[in-house]
Amino acid sequence: MSRKASGLKAWAIQRLTAIYIGLFALYLVAVLLFAAPVDFVAWKEWIGGPLVSVMLLLFIVSVLMHAWIGVRDILIDYVHPIAIRASLLGLVAMALVGMGLWAAQALILVRMA
Amino acid sequence: MALNKRRFDALIIGAGGAGLNAAIQLANTDARVAVVSKVFPTRSHTVAAQGGVNAALANVLPDNWHWHMFDTVKGSDYLGDQDAIEFMCREAIPTVYELEHNGVPFSRLDDGKIYQRAFGGQSQDFGGAQAARTCAAADRTGHAILHALYQQNVRARTHFFDEYFAIDLIRDDEGAILGALVMEIETGEPLLIEAKATVLATGGCGQVYRTTSNAHINTGDGMAMALRAGIPLMDMEFFQFHPTGIAGRGMLITEGVRGEGGYLVNRDGERFMERYAPNAKDLASRDVVSRAIVTEVKEGRGCGPQADHVLLKVDHLGEEIVSKRLPGIRESGRIFAGVDAAHEPLPVFPTAHYVMGGIPTDPYGRVIVPQGTGEEVVPGLYAAGECACVSVHGANRLGGNSLLDILVFGRAAGLDVIENLQEHKNHRPMNESSVEAAMARLTRWDQKGEGISIRELRDEFRKTMEDHAGVFRTEEIMGEGVEKLKALRDRLPEVRLHDHSKVFNTARVEALELENLFDTGIAIAYSALMRKESRGAHSRPDYPDRDDTNWMKHSLYFREDDRMDYKPVRTKPLTVETFPPKARVY
Amino acid sequence: MKFLVSRFNPESDTSPYMQEFEVEVVRGMMLRDALLEIKRHDESFAFRHSCGEGVCGSDGVNVNGTNKLACITPISELTEPVEVRPFPGRPIIRDLVVDMTQFYQQYRAVKPWLVRDDPMPEQEILQSPEERDKLDGLYECILCGCCSTACPSFWWNPEKFHGPQALLTAWRFLADSRDQATDERLDALEGPYKLFRCHTIMNCVDVCPKGLNPTKAIGHIKTLMLKNAV
Ligand SMILES: Cc1cc2nc3c(=O)[nH]c(=O)nc-3n(C[C@H](O)[C@H](O)[C@H](O)COP(=O)(O)OP(=O)(O)OC[C@H]3O[C@@H](n4cnc5c(N)ncnc54)[C@H](O)[C@@H]3O)c2cc1C
Ligand code: SF4
Repeated sequence: MSRKASGLKAWAIQRLTAIYIGLFALYLVAVLLFAAPVDFVAWKEWIGGPLVSVMLLLFIVSVLMHAWIGVRDILIDYVHPIAIRASLLGLVAMALVGMGLWAAQALILVRMA
Repeated sequence: MALNKRRFDALIIGAGGAGLNAAIQLANTDARVAVVSKVFPTRSHTVAAQGGVNAALANVLPDNWHWHMFDTVKGSDYLGDQDAIEFMCREAIPTVYELEHNGVPFSRLDDGKIYQRAFGGQSQDFGGAQAARTCAAADRTGHAILHALYQQNVRARTHFFDEYFAIDLIRDDEGAILGALVMEIETGEPLLIEAKATVLATGGCGQVYRTTSNAHINTGDGMAMALRAGIPLMDMEFFQFHPTGIAGRGMLITEGVRGEGGYLVNRDGERFMERYAPNAKDLASRDVVSRAIVTEVKEGRGCGPQADHVLLKVDHLGEEIVSKRLPGIRESGRIFAGVDAAHEPLPVFPTAHYVMGGIPTDPYGRVIVPQGTGEEVVPGLYAAGECACVSVHGANRLGGNSLLDILVFGRAAGLDVIENLQEHKNHRPMNESSVEAAMARLTRWDQKGEGISIRELRDEFRKTMEDHAGVFRTEEIMGEGVEKLKALRDRLPEVRLHDHSKVFNTARVEALELENLFDTGIAIAYSALMRKESRGAHSRPDYPDRDDTNWMKHSLYFREDDRMDYKPVRTKPLTVETFPPKARVY
Repeated sequence: MKFLVSRFNPESDTSPYMQEFEVEVVRGMMLRDALLEIKRHDESFAFRHSCGEGVCGSDGVNVNGTNKLACITPISELTEPVEVRPFPGRPIIRDLVVDMTQFYQQYRAVKPWLVRDDPMPEQEILQSPEERDKLDGLYECILCGCCSTACPSFWWNPEKFHGPQALLTAWRFLADSRDQATDERLDALEGPYKLFRCHTIMNCVDVCPKGLNPTKAIGHIKTLMLKNAV
């Protein structure tokens, strides 16, 4: 990762994703409270809608990036031996990518179903 | 074990304003320069200077260096050397601009220029209206200057020996100075630093008095080192008591407070300075104001339950001015006197502040000693700052002139060292016997057994200095004092260190400082006893007048046999007419 | 009043321990006075101090869990027993004296001096009072180290994270209208460590004896970086 991306960019991304996650969470709560889909079909329709699915995709990406930066920060703070930190970072990266793929698959399946 | 050695072109002992301004000159060339300081550089006492530094920039009121020179000569009670004073007042202007270029965050005027305030003893037109000559960074000018100079030295990669204590100068049989023996405080290990030129910039010695505005570290080490190297101290009887220390504690309340419009009152609420100095009032010279306060208290007009202080009123200036221009003072008042200066007056009393005397030097910072009927330079030795005596302050220093002195002559010394290094390419041969003598000073404290403690002798010494070499001085008080001090000095060999450990042994440092306090304190008391006139800060009720016929001369105190010598004042300036002695009224 | 003071002499002790002292307290006494009183009884007790009025920054210690300057901490504000320890996270040299080398290194690393490319004017570089006001709350730092040694991020990465003090200084120069090295200074602060280890824990703000606010300064740096980046 370049020096530029690891400092200011990471920090900015963390703030931006935090804002987006917050807003989306609010939206989600609002929907569930006031216009909760009644059955599976309604669910599917809601999530499968183009706007919502893009928002959801963005949300997932945001959560992953936010988590990545957060975990990376914690590891930089606490785990100093480079080899251990690198392996832990690798594991976290794999887990996050895995989760990302899984979420993407779920989204695609919902749209296709 | 073999003694560790290091070699440098120049060795600077002291990292206050004087030492750092000398160092930066050298560091900007390719000379190898070492700066030794017993504390981390920014902890040097220059950091405590509040009010500001004088230069005739004329940013606020009309001004020129010649008026500044007049005020300084008059302030010195005509004991200052007029050539050195002219040099300093001229150099003041480029010196302050250079400071600004070096990053000092001076307060500003609306037109973007450096803010200047009025200080005591400043006049326009040779004794006319009040001038505003003191360039200030709020009331933290010393802090701002010291940090900027340190920063510039960091940039120039000066080699610092932080927390190294200089023990003694090393000299050869001809009297040339070869460097110094120092001790790393963290390990307790001695180190010999050889240098082609050594600059003493160790600051003042206010710790010889019990109540002082000076820091714990101001123990006159450099002056005592010079004394032990056979060099006399000049004009040591002139010790400035700053009129406004926080009563009972000694912390300074800058003269800038009065410059901003603060004034003193006694228990009757009277602005008593109007009686002592009808024109300048609260901004009269420091010796005048100090004596006035002591007189008020002596005559029963003091304030507080003990009637032992007077009050400094600032609250009438309003909260905004106080917090903008005097934030540090407001803070100190709150902490140390429990008083918010913006709303209540501050309790004040004179506090031991500044030593006008010191190691005799010429305007290039070179140390000079009497030789035959004339004088000669001590090869390889320089002094600058409060430990030196050029002499620009004579019998009394004006506020804002000390920062100026340390900067101008620190710089001059640095530049002269550079020139000197061109001619002296090699180190002189080491002199083992001198090294041994210096080592003996260190190992003396390894003696074990019962004895007097450092604290005990130090407390007694400082109390004696305060009682017998303070603001008012009579033959009787001082004669008794000198005897007492000598008796205390005789007990020095009985002092024992109880803690002989090596690592960061602050008791050992204090033991070495104690010896230095004795040497400088006795120089003060003895020189004071011998001067039979009143001049500037030296005020003798038994000789109340200035005596220009017999005493317009500098005194020189030698440690050997407590001998005194005298030399004439240099009354001829560099380019202008002499200011002849006149009565000094404010 | 009861004082518990941390003692450690590497020549005789294997680890630091607390020693109890009884000090008679007088009105207006500061913590430094009490430490001096203790030294009166036991000259082997070591701590740094000098000016006694909070301007030299020598006598920072940890009192009842908080970093403070001993000389401006009134005893009357402390609860008994008063526990005095060296700054946390720094190697102890002896008693209350710690090794501050890394702290100074971080300070020097931010190039703490005014950089000017234009030729210097004959007189002062002009600066309006408003521009000068921006330096208030920044230039007053006395390098006492209370902040950085109270900062968890500095405990964890003292060799790489600049710490609150050095970052305050970095901003002191970025904020100075006379300084002309803004881009270099910002570039030098990039990367995950030097600046971005700050997690706005704000211990620095709580302990600064001069009432300065390093966290705010750090915020200003980040905002300026962002502004320069977009
Ligand atoms: C409270 C206060 C306020 C003042 N306000 C003003 C003001 O407003 N305007 C003004 O012009 N003047 C003022 N002065 C006076 C002025 O600040 C001092 O005279 C001046 O700063 C002295 O500077 P210096 O460089 O000579 O010494 P210092 O700054 O005292 O530095 C001495 C250096 O020598 C080192 N040192 C000493 N002994 C040894 C040793 N044995 N071994 C190694 N290193 C050693 C110390 O570590 C230190 O680095 C004030 C003074 C005080 C006390
Ligand atoms: S910012 Fe405050 S706490 Fe930190 S070093 Fe400076 S003065 Fe001390």
